[in-house]
Amino acid sequence: MTLLAPDQNTRAPGPARVGIGGPVGSGKTALIEALIPVFMSRGVEIAVVTNDLVTKEDARRLQASGLIDPARVVAVEAGACPHTVIREDPTLNIAAAEDLEARFPGLDLILVESGGDNLASTFSLDLVDWWMFVIDVGQGDDIPRKRGPGIMLCDLLVINKLDIAPHVFVSADAILAEAAAVRGEGRPVIGCRCKGTQTQGVSEIADLIMRDLLFRQVPA
Amino acid sequence: MEIFTTILGKADAPEYKAQVHRLSHAHALDVLRLSRADLSRRRLRATSDAGADVAIALPRDQQLYDGALLSLEPDRALIVRVETEIWLRLAAADQAAALRLGYFCGNFHWRVRFEGAHLLIAVETDLDTYLARLEPMLEGGEVWRVPDEEVST
Repeated sequence: MTLLAPDQNTRAPGPARVGIGGPVGSGKTALIEALIPVFMSRGVEIAVVTNDLVTKEDARRLQASGLIDPARVVAVEAGACPHTVIREDPTLNIAAAEDLEARFPGLDLILVESGGDNLASTFSLDLVDWWMFVIDVGQGDDIPRKRGPGIMLCDLLVINKLDIAPHVFVSADAILAEAAAVRGEGRPVIGCRCKGTQTQGVSEIADLIMRDLLFRQVPA
Repeated sequence: MEIFTTILGKADAPEYKAQVHRLSHAHALDVLRLSRADLSRRRLRATSDAGADVAIALPRDQQLYDGALLSLEPDRALIVRVETEIWLRLAAADQAAALRLGYFCGNFHWRVRFEGAHLLIAVETDLDTYLARLEPMLEGGEVWRVPDEEVST
C-alpha cells in the first residue's frame, strides 16, 4: 500500500487576496482604514492595492493615514471602467499584488480595492480568493432589491454608514433584512459603521476573513 | 480543520486509482463538493460530505478540478467533486434573435456555452433572476426555453 502525503516541497500558497468593490463613495477606503488596525492587532501582515480611474488618490490617502507602512500600499490606475481591471483583464492588479508579495515575503493578506463602480461590478477569482461588495444606506434603501451582480455574487455584502440611516430616511434593520432575503441563506450580509468613535461590523468582517481565508482562530 | 496546500493529482491516475477504488468500497472516500465557480478559487474553506472542516490554500499556478485528489491515507481519501450545474437552455427564432441573445448575455457577463443551435446559460444565482431579464425576449417569441434539457453537468 502506498502512503502519500501532500508534497511539502511545493511552493507556498502566498498571501490571501481579498477584493473590495462597490459604488463610488460607499466607503471602501474608509472600511480599509478601519480594517487595517484590526488586522494588525491580530498579528496579520497586510498590504493594499488601490484602484483609481486616473489618479492615485486612494493610495495616497492610505499612505498618509499613518495606519500602514506607505510602501505596503500600491496604486493601480485603471484608466477605464474600474471593473475592466478587476474582472476582464486583471493583469495590472495581479502584477501589483505579486510586486507586494515579492517585496514583503511575510504577507498574510492583500486587500485589493476596486475603483468606485456600478452594481454590475464583480471580481475575477484569478485575481482574488474572495470578495466583498460595499454599499451604503445613503444610496437609498432599494439598492439590495435591484439585485445587481455585485450584490448577488459577492462573498460578503457590506451595508455601510448605518449611523446616517435615520438622516436619509432609511431603516437600517429593513435594508439589512431585505439584503439577507435577496441573497439567500448562507450568503452573509454585515451592517457596518467604520468611522467615528463607535465602529460597528468591522471586527465581524475581519473575523470572517480570519476564519474563511486565513484559517485562523477568531478571538472570542 | 485540515489545510491542503497542494493537489496530489487526479484520483483516477494510475498511481492512485486502485487505492482510491479500495477506499471507496470501504466507505472511506470522502468528497468535497464545490460549485463550478468555486473551482477558480485558490483559497476556500468548506465542509466535506463526511463533515470534515477542509481548508484549501493553493499556489496561484494551481487550480482545483473535478476529481482532484487532496489526501490519500491508508484509511481515508479526500477528493473534489463538482456539483451538478443548472443550465438554462435557449433556442432563438432566427439569426437576428440569436445575435441579440448573445449580445444580451455578454452584456450581463453571464457564463454561456453552445450546443448546436442552442445557447446554454449557467445559472449561478436563482433561475428567476435570469428569466426576469430575459422576459422581453421570451414573451416576444424571439427566444424560447428548450424543455426538459435544463440540467446537465
